[in-house]
Amino acid sequence: MGKTILEVKDLTTKYITRFHEDVYAVDHVSLKIEEGKSLGIAGESGCGKSTLALSLMGYYFPPLYYTSGEIILGGRNISGMDPDDVRKNVLGTEIAYIPQAAMNALNPTRRIIRFIEDVIRAHDPKMGRKEIFEMARDRFHELGLPPEVLDRHPVELSGGMKQRTVIAISTILKPKVLIADEPSSALDVTSQKMVIKMLKNLMEKEYIKGMIFITHELPLLYNVTDDIMVMYAGQIVENGTAKQMVFDPLHPYSKGLMGSIIVPEEGVRGHELTAIPGTPPNLKNPPAGCRFADRCKYVVPACRVHEIPMLCLGGDRCCRCGHSESTLREAYAHERK
Amino acid sequence: MKGYRKYFGKKLLWFVITFIAAVLLNFILPRLMPGDPVAAITAKTAQGLTDASAVKAIYEQYAEQFGTKKPMAEQFFIYVKNLFHGDLGLSFSQYPRPVSDIIRSAVGWTIALQFPAIVIGWLLGNILGALAAYIRKGFDKIIMPIALFMSSLPAFGLAVILLVVFAVNLKIAPVAGGYGFDMIPNLSWNFIKSVIQHYQLPFWSVVLVAIGGQAIGMRSMSIYELNADYVKYSRFLGIKDRKIVSYVFRNAMLPQVTGLALSIGTMISGALVAEIIFSYPGLGTAMLQGITMSDYPLISGTTLIISVMVLVATFLLDIIYGFIDPRVKAAQFD
Amino acid sequence: MKNTIRQVFHSSKFLVGFVIFAFLLLMMLIYPLINPGDPLQMIGLGTFARPGTYVSVYDSVGTKPSTFNLPDADANRLAKILTAEDRVNMVNWFTAAGVDITGLDTQDTPAMLKLWKANYSSTVRPKGMTKAMRNYYERLNNAILSANSASKLTVSEPNADTGALEEKSEIAKSDYVNVSDVSNVKVLPLGTDNFGRDTLKELVSACGTSIRIGLIAGAIATLIGLLLGLLAGYLGGLVDDIVMFFTNIFTVIPSFVLLILISYSIGQEQRGAGTVALVIGFTSWVWTARSVRSQVMSLRNRDHVNLSKLSGHRLFRIITTDILPYIASYVVMAFILQISSAILAEAQLSLLGLGPKTTEIPTLGLMMNWAMLYSAHLNGSWWAYFPVILTIALISFSLNLMNTGLDQVFNPTLRD
Repeated sequence: MGKTILEVKDLTTKYITRFHEDVYAVDHVSLKIEEGKSLGIAGESGCGKSTLALSLMGYYFPPLYYTSGEIILGGRNISGMDPDDVRKNVLGTEIAYIPQAAMNALNPTRRIIRFIEDVIRAHDPKMGRKEIFEMARDRFHELGLPPEVLDRHPVELSGGMKQRTVIAISTILKPKVLIADEPSSALDVTSQKMVIKMLKNLMEKEYIKGMIFITHELPLLYNVTDDIMVMYAGQIVENGTAKQMVFDPLHPYSKGLMGSIIVPEEGVRGHELTAIPGTPPNLKNPPAGCRFADRCKYVVPACRVHEIPMLCLGGDRCCRCGHSESTLREAYAHERK
Repeated sequence: MKGYRKYFGKKLLWFVITFIAAVLLNFILPRLMPGDPVAAITAKTAQGLTDASAVKAIYEQYAEQFGTKKPMAEQFFIYVKNLFHGDLGLSFSQYPRPVSDIIRSAVGWTIALQFPAIVIGWLLGNILGALAAYIRKGFDKIIMPIALFMSSLPAFGLAVILLVVFAVNLKIAPVAGGYGFDMIPNLSWNFIKSVIQHYQLPFWSVVLVAIGGQAIGMRSMSIYELNADYVKYSRFLGIKDRKIVSYVFRNAMLPQVTGLALSIGTMISGALVAEIIFSYPGLGTAMLQGITMSDYPLISGTTLIISVMVLVATFLLDIIYGFIDPRVKAAQFD
Repeated sequence: MKNTIRQVFHSSKFLVGFVIFAFLLLMMLIYPLINPGDPLQMIGLGTFARPGTYVSVYDSVGTKPSTFNLPDADANRLAKILTAEDRVNMVNWFTAAGVDITGLDTQDTPAMLKLWKANYSSTVRPKGMTKAMRNYYERLNNAILSANSASKLTVSEPNADTGALEEKSEIAKSDYVNVSDVSNVKVLPLGTDNFGRDTLKELVSACGTSIRIGLIAGAIATLIGLLLGLLAGYLGGLVDDIVMFFTNIFTVIPSFVLLILISYSIGQEQRGAGTVALVIGFTSWVWTARSVRSQVMSLRNRDHVNLSKLSGHRLFRIITTDILPYIASYVVMAFILQISSAILAEAQLSLLGLGPKTTEIPTLGLMMNWAMLYSAHLNGSWWAYFPVILTIALISFSLNLMNTGLDQVFNPTLRD
């Protein structure tokens, strides 16, 4: 049981559309990350994963607004902090973010080393050029990146190299938590492996103390993260350890996700491939009751009546379903026959 | 620098080819005109002469001199040969003054006016556009429509308005010419002062219209860049807004340079017509004179020089762009 | 599609531009109905009549008058006689003659006149005053005296037989006629130009012609640009190289130069408005071609295009169903810009004297040209050039506004 480095309690954030409607993209989300551990967040496109990441950073720019909840990072509650304070002391130093499609994340006309200088000088204005260069060169070396990259412009690097460079830059100030948003989705398989190896390296060498890995590819999470959390329509529907979530999912949505994987992973092979019909609900007017009801095989009228709370089943395993654990397991066993 | 060789080489080749095409067009098109210019000039010179054979002799002499009797291809070669000697033929309307002489005295005035005007207009316009994109809110909402209106005004329109308001009504600027009518060009302080006075109105007509156009373009470019991914990412890493703004504008300027290269032809054209309004002694007035007097060596000469000017400007801008955009240098290593 | 149209008309910029342009079009269509006739007809003699209502003096004399005794009639009459220059000169005379002028307001006509009547004498010869000036003051004095007299005017007509002048009628100072009773009244909101033509009628007609030229030239330029851009962008390779070669040449050699050379070569006789439109259209397609080409190139490798290629669809079908709909928005915007630049190009050509024939129909450029040639800007006849400039600017402005509005609809990042 390590030290908790990031704790999120009931975080709710919303988008305000052009027509002044509220869309609660992140709805009462709670999570905990312990030192040395990594959390994977899985879900369909549009379920709120990326918005959650932005919210965790304290990155609220219109049309995204903070509504309620707490984000406690390294003992401090950063959800109410002054933006300038956040910029100086939180972004990059305590919590860092690797965006999706890092190809475009770097300023195309600026050399990598100059950009690193900008990042470091934004937090520590006094550091000298030579010092920065040496630090960057050593760090790159440790992470397996050739130091020539420092002198290049982004346009001269391949996609995989850019992604890994972005990871290196994001962690240059040794943030406590690293949020990686689909870091390998846009890459070829070899590069994917290199990216994941790099992330694990960062954790081992303790350059980062905790990691949140966002993806829609579940098999990836099994190999990379310790715990997994599944999001649907802005809410967490289930969480647990990686092994539990991949091999023994409880929530019908998680089960559906697992069933839709094409993967040669051992133990999961041999399952019938299923798809989850339908589309997620419109978050402008979320339905009363379970949000997954319209697409759930096991839906009963009671599902649509009340807001479904998160039920914790011991050992940090929680599930947001109207049915009890035993009911679900029975239904699944029935299916297999 | 070695990497640039490919880039510059290509641009230089391009320059040469386009120059040849310009010379060709400038030669052929006026000569497709119906009517016989030699007859026109003969009529002018032979006014009052009634002896038909004398008139014919004059006609033959001019035809010989202007080479209109030879086949087109031969005329072209003579034309090109003369071009290399800087000989653009003799003007019909100011006969026997050589066209190159007329152009030589006009070119300086035009370049002195247009070069600073376009550059300053471009700079100020871009700054204005960048500010509008950054500040947005009220500033943007006011500036945008004004800039749009300014860019919709034709350069000669603004020229006329400035002329009427400042020269005719308020009498604080001179009405026409490049310098006082009573002066002969020299390097005295008086003359220079007079030149500057006459310079103001034409200058501002070109600058103001240029500012309008550039502001609009830069604003769109800046807004586009401000929404780019690298802006968000830089923010995520805690980089100050001021630094990010410098990224954005430096990146937004690049397409503006290319844009300038593409639109310099139009800008110069507009400025030339503005020159005419002020009877400014530049290429514009020379060209007008050529057209009104059916002086096709002069027309041909001025259009050629204008094409060359635009060509050179575009070439220079291409080269400058190669230096300022690191992506160009990077692409050399492919 | 319907949604797009709805969005477009919601955009405030587009609406404003559209309204302005529609207003101009309406004027074009309706005004000739109110005021029919040839816009090039010369109704004035001499040059530059100021805007205003022109009442036939001959007919007002014959019209039955009504009698009004207005208190300020005399003052008004005198105020018209005393121009600003006259007042200044009167003050000068006073000063030179040593008259006390403290507290005198030059605009106060009665006071000025009182002081004048009390002090003026033709015998006084202030030092330094030329004879010409003294004559001027005499004339001024006579004008003031006659304006104040209570005499009537007499209208005489020569006798048909004897030729001697016979008194016909009298005109009293209190005779006023109702303008609508006078048989010949001409309202000239914008006066006449140097040829004596009704400027407003000319302007409306010119506006119509210029817009028509703009539409034709714009359509031609857009079509050529679209075609070349599609070919170059989609087919790539050698076709692209050839097209780009020509495009680059036409970029660097300013279309203006080409316009001049071609227009000049055609000669005045052949240059009707339609011909000019054609020439402008054929020389200004460069920007559109380039823009379409880059759009098509980015579309070329999209999945839906590849799918069509794999399905074996013919080139023509791929272009019309897979590519055209995506570039439609750019083409529309390009068209609007082409219209705007074509109208401007015509104006510039006309200013150089290379515009359409001057004897058939007026265009905005031709009107500018005439105004400049006859120095309207130097002799204060603002109605001859300022409305023209304003119209050109408004047409251009409204088109640009519409374009900006469309741009904001198609590129959400640019929205406020």
